[in-house]
Amino acid sequence: MTTVNLKRRGRDVKGAAFKGVLLLSLIVGFATLVTLLVDVFRKGWQYVDETLFTNPPSIDPAIAGARPAILATIYLGLMVILFTVPIGVGTAIYLEEYADRRRWYNRLLELNIQNLAAVPSIVYGILGLAFIVRGLGLGQVLLAGALILTLLVLPNMIIASREALRAVPDTIRQGGYALGATQWQVTARQVLPAALPGIATGSILSVSRGIGETAPLIMVGAVTYVAFDPTILGPFTALPIQIYQWVRLPQEEFRALAAAAIIVLLGILLSLNAVAIWLRNRYQRRW
Amino acid sequence: MRVGFQEELDYLEASLHEEGTLVLRSLRGALNALVQQDEELADEVIAFDDEIDARYLAVEEGVQELLARQTPVAGDLRLVLSMLHVNLHLERIGDYCVTIAKLVKLAPPVAPDRMFVDAFQEMGTRAEEMIRVALDSFAARNLEQAETLVDLDELIDRANRRFVQQVLSFGRDPKLHEWGLRMIVVSRCFERIGDHAVDIGERTAYLVSGEFREFTDASHPDEPEG
Amino acid sequence: MSVTDAPVKIAGDLQRESTPRGAAVFDVQNVGVSYDGNLAVHEVTLPIYEKQVTAIIGPSGCGKSTFIRVFNRMNDLIPNAKVHGKVLYHGADLYGKDVDPVEVRKQIGMVFQKPNPFPKSIYDNVAFGPRVLGWRKELDERVERALRRAALWDEVKDRLKKNALGLSGGQQQRLCIARALATEPDVILMDEPASALDPIATTRIEDLMHELKRDYTILIVTHNMQQAARVADMTAFFSVDIAPEGDRTGILVEYDETSKIFTQPSDQRTEDYVTGRFG
Repeated sequence: MTTVNLKRRGRDVKGAAFKGVLLLSLIVGFATLVTLLVDVFRKGWQYVDETLFTNPPSIDPAIAGARPAILATIYLGLMVILFTVPIGVGTAIYLEEYADRRRWYNRLLELNIQNLAAVPSIVYGILGLAFIVRGLGLGQVLLAGALILTLLVLPNMIIASREALRAVPDTIRQGGYALGATQWQVTARQVLPAALPGIATGSILSVSRGIGETAPLIMVGAVTYVAFDPTILGPFTALPIQIYQWVRLPQEEFRALAAAAIIVLLGILLSLNAVAIWLRNRYQRRW
Repeated sequence: MRVGFQEELDYLEASLHEEGTLVLRSLRGALNALVQQDEELADEVIAFDDEIDARYLAVEEGVQELLARQTPVAGDLRLVLSMLHVNLHLERIGDYCVTIAKLVKLAPPVAPDRMFVDAFQEMGTRAEEMIRVALDSFAARNLEQAETLVDLDELIDRANRRFVQQVLSFGRDPKLHEWGLRMIVVSRCFERIGDHAVDIGERTAYLVSGEFREFTDASHPDEPEG
Repeated sequence: MSVTDAPVKIAGDLQRESTPRGAAVFDVQNVGVSYDGNLAVHEVTLPIYEKQVTAIIGPSGCGKSTFIRVFNRMNDLIPNAKVHGKVLYHGADLYGKDVDPVEVRKQIGMVFQKPNPFPKSIYDNVAFGPRVLGWRKELDERVERALRRAALWDEVKDRLKKNALGLSGGQQQRLCIARALATEPDVILMDEPASALDPIATTRIEDLMHELKRDYTILIVTHNMQQAARVADMTAFFSVDIAPEGDRTGILVEYDETSKIFTQPSDQRTEDYVTGRFG
């Protein structure tokens, strides 16, 4: 008759300690974020009202609003999606499906995309100023801002699209080829549709990064005081810039207004992210 | 499911029964040759054995193929192994028919007593019946029917013993002696045919029950019948 | 009375389906395959006969999958893969100068080891091949025909628009077979078609092969030699040749009727493999 001892032998001190450290990191990060958010909300909530959305900025905080900035941010977002998605997805398809990885230029391209994603946004700003505003002669207009943000966000878009394309199992491609489909047919009819949810998620996340950028927009010439609605080929401002401007004004109310604008900006970003998450969950593939 | 395999099994079993039909014809021929002392018929029976041997070989190859390619298990395995054995028994029965035919040719032309003719008819017919019962019960997987073979065999055994007694009571005539000796072997052939039919019955029992057992054991005979 | 009366016939209509050898669909001549200069399969020569099932068996690493992909030029998709030798398909060189691999694959279909239906509806899966070929008319009939031939129609006819990924493994594989059949190929290549399936699904695929070989030439790779014994008319045994430096190359050892391979193989290596005494 063999006896077995299945009881726990001693305490798992190291395990418990490790778990504790992880929890601590989580709390630190989370707590900081929560503190900031709570602070912003407390300051700014009272100013989140209709005026904020309908009125242009003004010296009088009572009637000041962020309408031009909000509209510009939305326009920028839409334009960035419009430009980034075709270029980004196209590049990703080329790199994933068509490029011969043994060729040096393709390997160079791959390497550089990773680098580009890490370049500070101010550098993009300077680039934009030199080539788009002055070089192309567009001037300091909304379109220029959109183009710069596109360039900024493009590497992320390419990387996200590539991940989405890579996530499509190779067996799908093999199955397509085995049926006598050309590369174009396999890519367009099988791979791309299957990667679409991932690509959509990726584009939304890339855009939401772009909308929050301030530095490149300043370089390209976003003005700080715009009282009219923005047009594509006209001067513009954007929410981050509006926030920056308000914070610097002496009156306490403007700081509260800034907080309110932050809330709006956060609202836009979180909604975008929520859409991205919803898309991802809805179309989660079980291969 | 496994349509190909089932077809092959069915085909093999059909071949086996076809072989059985051939064997029955051979037996009928041998019996008639014996009773009518027809040497030409005897020759035909001897030649006909080639057909039986051809079927025997075909079934043997079929079993080999089935075992190699289909890896039968359970009931299928018992069926294939049983067919292998039944094939052998049928071939042996065929050989005994040839022996009977050869003895018809070897035996001196003696006009036998009515009694002997009747005895042969009885044994021969009994043997035929046993082969039929054996094959039918195998085809129907009918264990009870197979077990009746024991009693039928007993009848042939008795007939065989009676025949031997009768031959022993012959007088001094050398021709009669020779004839008698030859005919004892013939009688023995019928008796052995009956035994093989019982063996086929035992195969049916194995197929149905999975047990290896003999219906009666020659080394441990039952109480002698009254 | 004569013993040998009428010539004896087999009972009733039980006719033995013997598959006599027809013409050769493929003529493989000294074909080898190398990846990055390393020889994966060495100098194979054999004919593949029409409307039969030919199986390729052998231990892992003997190049079976590599070899079967020679027949539909799927090795072209792998960079640095080179095919030497000649493969004649109805007399035409598959690797000839003007030959378009896409055309080849339309006539020589393939089913893979792990069922790989597209993440689309059952209908769209089967219709993909015809659509790609430009056959837009009678699509419904083509789909039904293919699904019937793959013994799947009855199970899916009421849910053609449902996602193919909702089918069971065995059904998915039959769907992949239907998908391949929809382009009306001449030959179907199967790379270990049942190895990812349970025994019942496997038997169904094997029964399907038995039926399909009436109309198609089937070439299958399997690591399950009992499967080859059950389904194939001809069997090719590949083994691994290990060079002194350690390079592994697949070689054809024996190619014969399946019954011969499994009852009396000519080569000792074949005997060792089929009896399980290999390695």
